[in-house]
Amino acid sequence: MSLAELFSLLPVLVLAGASLLVLMLGLWLKHLPSLVALGVAACAAAGALAVLVPPEVMEVGGMFSAARYARFFLVLWAGVVAWTLLSSVRYAAARRFQPGEWVSLLLFAGAGMALLSAATSLVGMFLGLEAFTLVLYILIAFHRGSAAGTEAGLKYLVLGVTATAVLAFGVALVYASAGTFHLPEAMAGVAGDSPLRPLGLLGWGMLLVAIGFKVSLVPFHLWTPDVYQGAPAPVAGLLAAGSKGAMFSAVVGLLAGIGLGLRDLTPVLWALSGLSMLLGTLAALRQENVKRMLAYSSVVHMGFVLMGLLDAGPEGQEAVVFYLVFYALVSLGAFGVLTAFSGEEGEPQQLAAFRGAGYRHPFLAAALAVFMLALAGVPPTGGFMAKLGVFAAAIRAGHLPLALVGVLASLVSLVYYLKLVIAMYMSAEGAPPSGSPLHRGTRLEAACVGVCLLGVLLLGLAPGALLDWIGSLL
Amino acid sequence: MSTVIFYVLSATALVATLLCVTRKQAVHAIVYLINALFALALMFYLLGAPLVAAWEVIIYAGAIMVLFLFIVMMFELDPAREAQRPAPARRWPVVLISAVILACSLALAFADPAGQAGVPGYYASPRAFGELMFGEYALGVEVASFLLLFAAVGAYTVGRGDEPAGGGEGRR
Repeated sequence: MSLAELFSLLPVLVLAGASLLVLMLGLWLKHLPSLVALGVAACAAAGALAVLVPPEVMEVGGMFSAARYARFFLVLWAGVVAWTLLSSVRYAAARRFQPGEWVSLLLFAGAGMALLSAATSLVGMFLGLEAFTLVLYILIAFHRGSAAGTEAGLKYLVLGVTATAVLAFGVALVYASAGTFHLPEAMAGVAGDSPLRPLGLLGWGMLLVAIGFKVSLVPFHLWTPDVYQGAPAPVAGLLAAGSKGAMFSAVVGLLAGIGLGLRDLTPVLWALSGLSMLLGTLAALRQENVKRMLAYSSVVHMGFVLMGLLDAGPEGQEAVVFYLVFYALVSLGAFGVLTAFSGEEGEPQQLAAFRGAGYRHPFLAAALAVFMLALAGVPPTGGFMAKLGVFAAAIRAGHLPLALVGVLASLVSLVYYLKLVIAMYMSAEGAPPSGSPLHRGTRLEAACVGVCLLGVLLLGLAPGALLDWIGSLL
Repeated sequence: MSTVIFYVLSATALVATLLCVTRKQAVHAIVYLINALFALALMFYLLGAPLVAAWEVIIYAGAIMVLFLFIVMMFELDPAREAQRPAPARRWPVVLISAVILACSLALAFADPAGQAGVPGYYASPRAFGELMFGEYALGVEVASFLLLFAAVGAYTVGRGDEPAGGGEGRR
């Protein structure tokens, strides 16, 4: 470990160092807004360093990349964390979250996600993944007054630890087959005609189980609705936008190294993607709870992303990264609106609670409606471009039936996304919403939602800039 | 001979782990887990990693499992049931497993007291282990230490009892 290597890792070090600083400061300073300001400043500093200061070496410690792809995701995750911090100030204060721990854990989650996106070795991948998953276990159960949150945290912990065990086993088997943790060489045991190929393939199967769990692909998705429902809304947003995106950004690197071995994995990936789209859609149709509906919708969307990965070429990867950026923006936005609608106690979750919201809270409801249409893939939102990209990738790779399943799932998805829009705009005039009234949302929350809204629309209207940028990273 | 011992130990570890996860009483499960960890430690030794073997005993079987035992005892779940002594037939598996592990360690110790014979080519001496850990994998160790720090923070944050009303500000 040389100084040059540490220097190349500087943006991540800033995030991790800031999380320690905030943790210590939190012992004396109980003022949430100032700690949030410090956290956002750290995210901004990390992002600025990642963009402005070129790394001296491309790989740090044989584990983490400092190349442009990794830096791109670092900026994205730092932005996601800063956004989450800003949009949840009132939410966290109302529930009396411990300020120091709250900000510090979120910052460390950002560092973990950045490390996962940068992983160039299976060890690095494991550590990055565990770093932010561990933080999420805590954040999901962070609201101690909420029994549902504690239950969700426990469920995620038990299932997540099982997935971790499977992941560690898989990494060990892949290591046994190739003799190295480093990517892409670790894939050699799978790709070639090496005598240890069965071990490598078995290891790969286990990696896929763990990955499927973390991004909630069918049949490893069972935790998703309960955890989304119980987790605090800002944490659910981070889970949807960050954790799944970071995992997939690492999978892009994994699959890129596998080369010809991808042919053997294709049936498995095909089945995972198809099942996620089908079962996710069927389950989402039945939901009356918005957070559970978003959970199943995330299962469907992860199926879409996996479809894009079937085309291992640069165009497929470009489509996947574009999708991840879009999905991060739109899920942050949707959960941001839920955060803004949340009062002192509880969150609006049932569809009935949103009745008539379109007339009482015009901006937030309109934003939520746009996010729903974007999730369904209606032009001119970014969802249309994102889905177009992955469908095209699947067709290029010769999986027309899968692409058709995707198109069908998108069409049907309009039904459950529009249910929310109908509840907000077309319910009987003056019908009072059931339960406690929705909160109006502060200016800061509206501004945060506005940023996501702008991003989702820009991705649809002018996707070229981002696509070119992503193309230059790969 | 070491191959035979290895497979005997593997079988023992599997059986002990299986018994561990199927026990209803926490204390019994922990005792089986300790046995499984001892078997694993000997397997690590046979694989040429004596340092890991020692840690397996000192850290896992020694520190963590004893901590588990203390916690289970402090919870005092259902004292009436805990007080019952297990039926003699229930005691045989653990005695048998412990005896197998003891026999394996004694066989290893007497067959090769100096620990020199049959040292495999991939022998990981403590020095080599340390160099790898704090050289090539130094960054990984640092990330893991961060991870553990936040695990401790999380356990403290989530596990703390509820504060009295109005105690949210300025309380340590």
